[in-house]
Formats: sequence, C-alpha cells, structure tokens
Amino acid sequence: MGDIMRRHNPKIILTIFSIIVGIFIANQIKLKLETFTPVTIKSLQATKAEITSVNNEISELNKILKAKEEELALLENIAMGDDNILDILKNDISYNKLYSGQTSLKGPGIVIKMYDNPEERSYGFDLNDDLIHDVDILNILNDLKIAGAEAISVNGERVLSTSEIKCAGPTIRINGRSTATPFVIKAIGDPKLLYASVNAPGTYGDILKIYSIGFETTVEDMLYIPGYKGVFNYRFAKPLGEDD
Amino acid sequence: MKSRGDMMKKFKEYIALTLVSIFLGIILSIQFKTINKTVGEGVLPTQRAQQLATELKKAQNEREVLSKTIEELEGKIKQYEMGEVDKNVYVENLYSDTMKYRMLAGYLDLEGPGVVMEINDPPVDIEYGEMYSIIDELDLVLQVISVLNAADAEAISINDQRYTSFTEIEKAGNHIEINGVSTSTPIVIKAIGRADTLEAALNLKGGIVTMLRAYDYLVQVYQEKSITIPRSRKVKEFIYSIPFEENSN
Repeated sequence: MGDIMRRHNPKIILTIFSIIVGIFIANQIKLKLETFTPVTIKSLQATKAEITSVNNEISELNKILKAKEEELALLENIAMGDDNILDILKNDISYNKLYSGQTSLKGPGIVIKMYDNPEERSYGFDLNDDLIHDVDILNILNDLKIAGAEAISVNGERVLSTSEIKCAGPTIRINGRSTATPFVIKAIGDPKLLYASVNAPGTYGDILKIYSIGFETTVEDMLYIPGYKGVFNYRFAKPLGEDD
Repeated sequence: MKSRGDMMKKFKEYIALTLVSIFLGIILSIQFKTINKTVGEGVLPTQRAQQLATELKKAQNEREVLSKTIEELEGKIKQYEMGEVDKNVYVENLYSDTMKYRMLAGYLDLEGPGVVMEINDPPVDIEYGEMYSIIDELDLVLQVISVLNAADAEAISINDQRYTSFTEIEKAGNHIEINGVSTSTPIVIKAIGRADTLEAALNLKGGIVTMLRAYDYLVQVYQEKSITIPRSRKVKEFIYSIPFEENSN
C-alpha cells in the first residue's frame, strides 16, 4: 500500500504543480495586459487622431488670426484717416451673409429626389417603412455636410443652422414652411464626393433604397440654390460681454 | 538495491518531465507572441506613447495661446469699431447689422437664457455585458437639434462646438467628430432661446426625450438663466459655389 502511494506521489505532485504554475502564469499575463492597456496600438492611434484634430484646429485658428490681423490693420488705417469704416462693415456683412446662408449660390453639385414607396403593396408590415421621415432627411443632410457640401436646399428652402426638419402629420416642416413628398435636395460641392456620400454601399441613402423608398441622384454642372428669405431677430441671445 | 524496473520508472519520469517542460515553453512563447501582436512590440510603445502625449500637450498649449491672441485682437478691433461707430447714426445701424449677421453665421460668442440637455450612455448591462452608445445613433442628436430649432432656438452648441449651417456630426472610430473636432460622450447640447418653449418641446410626451429614455439613455434637461455658446472656430472655404443675384420675377 505504502509502496503504491510512494510510486504515485511524484506524478500527483507534478500535476498539482503544473496546474498551479499554469494558473500563476495566466494571472500574471492578465495582470500585465491590464497595466499595458494604456499603450495598446488602439490607444496610440486614438492619441494620434487627437493630435491631428488639434493640429487642424490650430491651422483654422491661424487662418482666423490672419484675418483678424488684417482687419485690425485696416481699422488702424481708418483711425489715421486713410480708409472708411463703412467699407469694412459692409464687407463684414456680405461675408457673414454668405456664411449664414443669406446669399444665393450657384455651382456644381448633386440633386437628390426622394419619394415615398410608389408601389401599391407595402414593403413590410409597417406602413411607416414606406414613408420618408424627418430622420431620413436629417441623415442625408448630415452625410452631405460630411462630404463638404457648401450649400444645401430642401424643396427650395435653404438649410441653415436654425433650420428645423420636423414631421408634422403628412408633411414635413422646413424653415417654418410645410412641404411634402417628393423631396428635392440640392447640394453644391464636389459632385463626386457628394454622390458617393449618399450612394456608396452602406451609406444611409443606400439603405433607404432597400426599404424601396424612391431615391434618385443626378449630378449637375450648375445648380442654383436660393438664399434664406426670412427675417431673423435675436430676442434672447446677446453677444458675450455686452451687458449694458 | 535498485531493480531494473525502478530504473525504467525513473527514466520514464524524466521523459515525462522533459515533455511537460517543452510543452510549457511552447505555450509560453505563443502567449508572448500573441501579447506582442495585440499590445505592440516590447518597450517601444511606451516610449512612443510618451512621445505622442508630449506632442499632444504641445499642440494643446499652442491652441490655447492662439485662442488667447485672437481674443486680444478681437478686443482691440472692437475698441476701434466702437470708437468709429459713435460718430454717426448710419454707421451705428450698419454696425448692429454686422453684429446680427455675425451671430447668424456663428462667428460671435453668445450669451442668453435657454436649456441644457445632457445625454449619457446607458449603464453597462451586467446580464448581457453589452454596451451600446449614442455614438452609434448620432441621428438621435440630429433630431434633438431639429426639435430645438423648431422651438425657435437662436443658437445651439454640441459639446461646446457651435452648430452652424456646415456643422456635421460624424462617427470616427469610438468617438465623435463635430466641426472636425473630436469629442466623446456625454453629449451636452446647449440652446439659447425661450427656455420654457425649448424645454417643453424636448420633453413633449412621446417626443425626443421619451424616445432616448426608451433606449435607456440617461437624459437630463434643465433650464438656465445664462448660457454661453462659443463662436465657430472653423473657416469654411467656398471652392465650388459662387454668389449670384436672383432676378425677381
């Protein structure tokens, strides 16, 4: 009996030790991985991306700085009586009108025509899948902006920072005006990029087609997009630091 | 006396030990290789990471300095402008117009009453351990902005990025890019306007807040007497479009 025990003992000890060593190593590796996570390739790439984004901001700021310096130089000239303040203010107004969508623009781009599923039979069980919703248009507009669209209009209404696109019963409201299907979206910019941003596989526009929503894109050499014709009045917002 | 059998037994044990050792060695080397693959090569990444971190800090400092210089310049410009403006009424009117269009284009810091909305990702589900994030459903953010605009918001910012006519919201990896600047959750949307209207529009029964909460997002909406919305820091260049005068029929 004792003989058998002695003969078996080394094997049992070996097995137990191997298991212990295995667990130990596994633990060790797990621990090390955790302390190493801050320097994974992913995190390196994230930091890199952040650096490029900050650098982009810096170059934007540099542009603004240059513009401001020029403006200041002009103003100094005025103070010395060489130039006219009216010209500067008028320039400023036309510049900001351009950037806030008050000016009509023309240029190459794409026209998207979207309409509800024209078939009698519904695509799915839910009739909602056949209709165009505000989200669909919002997504398309966002995709166009990502592709660098310079001016966008929906059914003739210029899309501004203050434009709402909201379902209101059977219609959609844009800039306070109701429009209905079909929706014609015009965008000025690089036609190739704009076209790809709503037609490439996996884009939102591509998915809409699967839902058998009408979605036709045409590239145009010359588009005319009107400026916003409404009137703005700021009642609540004031420039910072102007509490008189 | 050791018998022949005993010797054999010992020999066999040695072989077993050797085999186990070799096996262990192979497993260890495989482990290290996979770690090297996932973590990166040896000591290098830590150095590179430190390098990148300092680079980032440098860039951020530069950005700070630039922002400050621009602020100073703007202060000076304003002084000059105000000095001129007081001279006659026409210039004064023109100046207020200038300010209005600057506000509209997003090139002016704004201040006023309004609402703040915070969207936090849902807490991690312990049962399923699956995470989903607002980053994957950015059209919800687009809808929030549309609702705010429908309620006559005068200026909107998302994570301190001014919402202009060109603002895009884009998913980039596991963060978001707004106006080309990367940011992440939580998403804080601020809007200046009539606070009651804005809050009511968001909190409408079955509206956008209800929808977000149905998806388990942690949403907070509150009014504030004074909200500051920063100016846009991006210069959009028009490459393709040319202004034209519309002939009214």
